[in-house]
Amino acid sequence: MPFLEYNTAIVLGGTTLLGFASGVIGVLGLLRRRALLGDALAHATLPGICLAFLLFGRQFGALLFGALVTGIAGVALVALLSRYTRIKEDANIGIVLSVFFGGGLALSTYIQKNSVDAAQAGINGFILGRTAGMVQADLIFICTAAVAVCFVVLLFYKEFKLLCFDPDFAAVEGWPVVRLDFLLMLLLAVTVVIGLPAVGIVLMVAMLIVPPAAARFWVAGLAPMMWLAGAFGALTGAAGSLTSTYAADLPAGPVIVLCGSALFLISLLFAPRRGILARARDRRRWRKRRAIRGFLRILYEASEAALPERAALPIADLLGRFPGRAREAEALVAHAARAGWLERAESEERAALRRSAPRAAAAAEGDDAVRLTAAGLQKAAEAARIHRLWQHYLRTSAHIDRDIVDPDAEEIESILPRAVLAQLEEDLKNAGTLPGGGAPVRALAGLPRELAT
Amino acid sequence: MSRPGDIQTPPAVELHDLTVAYHKKPVLWDIDLAIPEGEMVGIIGPNGAGKSTLIKAVLGLVPAATGWVRVFGESYASRRREVGYVPQRESVDWDFPVSALDVVLMGTYGRLGWCRRPGAAERKQALGALERVGMQDFARRQISQLSGGQQQRVFLARALAQNARLYLMDEPFAGVDAATETAIVNVLRDLKQQGRTLLVVHHDLQTVEGYFDRVVLVNLRLVAAGPTREVFTRDNLLATYGGRLTILDQAAETVRRFEDWLPQTGAEPPHSAARAAAPQRLLSPPGAPPPAQPQHGAAPQAARRPPGENHALP
Repeated sequence: MPFLEYNTAIVLGGTTLLGFASGVIGVLGLLRRRALLGDALAHATLPGICLAFLLFGRQFGALLFGALVTGIAGVALVALLSRYTRIKEDANIGIVLSVFFGGGLALSTYIQKNSVDAAQAGINGFILGRTAGMVQADLIFICTAAVAVCFVVLLFYKEFKLLCFDPDFAAVEGWPVVRLDFLLMLLLAVTVVIGLPAVGIVLMVAMLIVPPAAARFWVAGLAPMMWLAGAFGALTGAAGSLTSTYAADLPAGPVIVLCGSALFLISLLFAPRRGILARARDRRRWRKRRAIRGFLRILYEASEAALPERAALPIADLLGRFPGRAREAEALVAHAARAGWLERAESEERAALRRSAPRAAAAAEGDDAVRLTAAGLQKAAEAARIHRLWQHYLRTSAHIDRDIVDPDAEEIESILPRAVLAQLEEDLKNAGTLPGGGAPVRALAGLPRELAT
Repeated sequence: MSRPGDIQTPPAVELHDLTVAYHKKPVLWDIDLAIPEGEMVGIIGPNGAGKSTLIKAVLGLVPAATGWVRVFGESYASRRREVGYVPQRESVDWDFPVSALDVVLMGTYGRLGWCRRPGAAERKQALGALERVGMQDFARRQISQLSGGQQQRVFLARALAQNARLYLMDEPFAGVDAATETAIVNVLRDLKQQGRTLLVVHHDLQTVEGYFDRVVLVNLRLVAAGPTREVFTRDNLLATYGGRLTILDQAAETVRRFEDWLPQTGAEPPHSAARAAAPQRLLSPPGAPPPAQPQHGAAPQAARRPPGENHALP
């Protein structure tokens, strides 16, 4: 026996292609916020499948056509209810999904009781997904539909991109937004319907959502996102069908979803930049930067009274001024020393102690004070300046534009209008609280004369 | 500039008897208005006054309950290639997976038509638009990584790529930093110099006189419309804002400070004389300049004209 039987190879090819198509179209569904609508669509197909079975018997094409009809009817009903009632869309999705699926289940039970042939396999396979029963003709049908879906997406890529990003702008430009939305819905419906035999009604929505959501973690462009989602979809489809074929009675749907979930979990955790770990690292770094700037400001404030002399700052005093835990403050002192902003110094008490009782002073270990270096003073003054300018801006002018206030921005000059900044600095200078000794600030360069003076 | 009955140059935008309602509740009521071509016009009014709805009604994004809209004397649909649109920044998802250049390229889609992808020419045009708003270095940047002001500039660049005769902009200055405000003002003045018409929803009373030749004051109805120096008065603002004096006083206080930094934006602002007199005029007692006093809550200027005749901005 070859590694892959002929039929298995076909099933594998079909589910791979199906996974690719659903990944690609799922990207558009996700970006157009139609994810849950896809779920309603999938569930609304069951009554159609049952009715088609009652009318035509177990003919693959007829069953899928029935599924497509009631699936689209379900989505249309959601749209109508949302438009003509005050019920919100999420509730409408729930209503349609449960009513259609409930009706479908009742019908399928009726079929099981009254039909003697392989009805059970035919219908129940659609609910949870079952690739084993497929024949070559079915698979050719699925493959054709999947390729067609991808082709239409390729053809209207530009239009769909605009529709999903900014539908109002699309409408203003004369694009038929409603018809494009319908086309997108139709593509989603076709994908769902051809996925039903393999993945099943209950879990089909996962094929539409999980690969795109996982892909978004890794890439930042629409086309790359579609390719990657397609690849993820293909991978899960292939893995699911292989497992389902070789691991006997395991239905394909759950296996496919589990494979997809694994991919999603990996993306969620480890993706650079958007992954949870990367974000946690970024947040940690941001906090550290913030803490350092806050600490620099404290150093400036502690030194301010004695300026231009750089006073010795008792470490105990600094720790007292720091709002956080003592351990953090110690780490910050160490960091500032490593950066060359602080040098060792001796507090006045210690100096006095050393003069009066040299032996006792020597017994006290280490230095008990620090002093800003010249470079450190510059850094600290800048941190204090920005802090005070923002504080003053918030106090006096924040009604103008609260949105642009960013107390952590290094470059206040690029955010506030120069004249506003000059006024703030003028105010602080007059109050004698402008760090940097009232020296002319960079922002004043290029100002009209009457303002600069 | 067009006057009533002047048929040679139709106004850039003309609204007649326009009423817009959401669920039977009017948001714009009985608006008669004509915007002459080549002007930079601010739409001013408090929150919820219907400023954005006015623009959306022109663009056909919200249906008119009664009345009609004309753009360059025709229906919007037949003139849409000549109209550019800058929506509110919050109207889209900025986490959408596209780059700044992608967004700007969308401004060329209308001309490209179905299924054709933007090519080298469109790319060049889009990069040029980004350069005009000072964003050429951010073309490849994913839009979620841009600051609010940069996102706003990308939206403006997209409108520039549309290469329109009439631009409708919804709050382009909301929540932007100084560099962006300067960049946007410069672009808008350039457009005006080229004879384009700009209709800009604006929320910041302090900058109105520095930016706009004309203003349209709305609050459900049209309170007044016309040249800024004639219409942007304390009385009209009171009628528009319903006596929320604090806003006006803030305006008066900051107008001076704002004007001081305005000259740095490059182009000499229009109506310098009028602007210099602004603070005094804002605080002058009622009745000094010609205010449009609302009589019955309807559009006051329209009410004085014979029915059926549109009134142009004086």
